[in-house]
Amino acid sequence: MIEGKLVQLRAHEMTDLERYAAWFNDPDVTRFVGKRYPLSLLAEEAWLRENTGKPLSYDRVQFAIDTRAGVHIGSIGFNQTFPEDRRAVLGIVIGDKAYWSKGYGGDAMRTLLRFGFEEMNLYRIELTVDARNARALACYRKCGFVEEVRMRQGHFSEGAYHDGIWMGILRDEWAAQQTELQAAP
Amino acid sequence: MIAGKLVNLRAREFGDAERNARWSSDRELLALTGHRYPQSLAAIKPAVRGYASEPLSHADPRFAIETKDGVYIGNIRLSDVSSDDRHAQLSIMIGERSYWSKRYGSDAVRTLLRFAFREMNLHRVELYVYATNARAIAAYQKCGFVQEGIRRRAYYSRGVWVDVIVMSALACEWSEEAR
Repeated sequence: MIEGKLVQLRAHEMTDLERYAAWFNDPDVTRFVGKRYPLSLLAEEAWLRENTGKPLSYDRVQFAIDTRAGVHIGSIGFNQTFPEDRRAVLGIVIGDKAYWSKGYGGDAMRTLLRFGFEEMNLYRIELTVDARNARALACYRKCGFVEEVRMRQGHFSEGAYHDGIWMGILRDEWAAQQTELQAAP
Repeated sequence: MIAGKLVNLRAREFGDAERNARWSSDRELLALTGHRYPQSLAAIKPAVRGYASEPLSHADPRFAIETKDGVYIGNIRLSDVSSDDRHAQLSIMIGERSYWSKRYGSDAVRTLLRFAFREMNLHRVELYVYATNARAIAAYQKCGFVQEGIRRRAYYSRGVWVDVIVMSALACEWSEEAR
C-alpha cells in the first residue's frame, strides 16, 4: 500500500473486476483514454488475472486507486518502463465519476510520481494526453508536468482528427517542487 | 518491390540476417538507432526468418533497402500502425556506412512515405530522432517532416541524457511534386 493524502495505491485484486468492466464500458470514462471498442468481462478478467497473478515489479507497476476510506475509484500505473533511460510512461483513469474534479486524481498522480522518483529511481516520467482533455491537462500541469510536443492530428474519434500532447517531468524538477512545497508557509 | 529513385524497397529475406548481425556490432550505429545491445547471428536469424515468412501487410510493413544495383544497405519499416487513427511510426537504418550522406536514406524515406500515403492510405507518419543526430534531422526535414516538439532527456546513451525530437508528416500536407 502506498499512501497519498486523499488516496492510497494498492495492487489490483480479482474482486475489482466488475468495477473495471463497468468503467471501461462507460463512454464518459473512455472518451479520452483511447479505448474505442467495448470491453468484455472475459477480456478484462484476463487482464486482471495476468496483472494479479504476478508480483508487482519494475516492469509491472499497476495500482488500484482507493480513497483513504477504502472506496475503489480508479487505476494508475506505468504502462512502460525503460531501465537504461530510467524513464516510465504513466497512465491514469478515475473510473468513478463521483470522484472527478475533487483532487483525487491529482493526489494519485503525485503519489505515483513520488514512488517513481523516490523508490524506483526514475529520471523522467512522461505521458500523452488528448489536447481536448482540459481537465486532465490542468491536473498534469499542477503536478509539474511540462508540455513538450503537440502531435498534430495524432488520433481520430468522434468524426475528426485531434491533437495529442506529450508531457514530461524530470527528477530535478520534481525535487525542486518538493523543496518549494516544504518552504511554503 | 517498391521503386524509388536511388533505391528499391523489397520484402525482407532470410539471407539478410548475416548483414544485420554485422550492422548490429557497429556501436555508433546502435547509439543512433536506440539499439543498445549487439545481437548474435543466432538471435537475429529466427527474427528475420519470422519477418520473411509472413506476407507483408498493413500490420507490420518492414522493408530491405537496396540500391538500384541490388546492394542491400539498410532497413526501413512502419511500426505501431493504428488502423483507426491511420497513423504509423517510421524508422530507418542505413547499415552500410559507405552509403551514408549520399541521399540513399532520404530516397528510402520518401519512397516509403509515398507508399504510406498513396497505397496504405495513412493520414500521419511520425518518427522519433535523437537531437544529437543532426544529419538525420536535416534529411527528415527535406523529406517533408515537421518538428513537433522535444521530449526532454528521454534517451540515455554514451553517458549522457539526450533529447528526443518528435517529427511528423501529414497526408494533407504532403505533395510528391514538392519533394
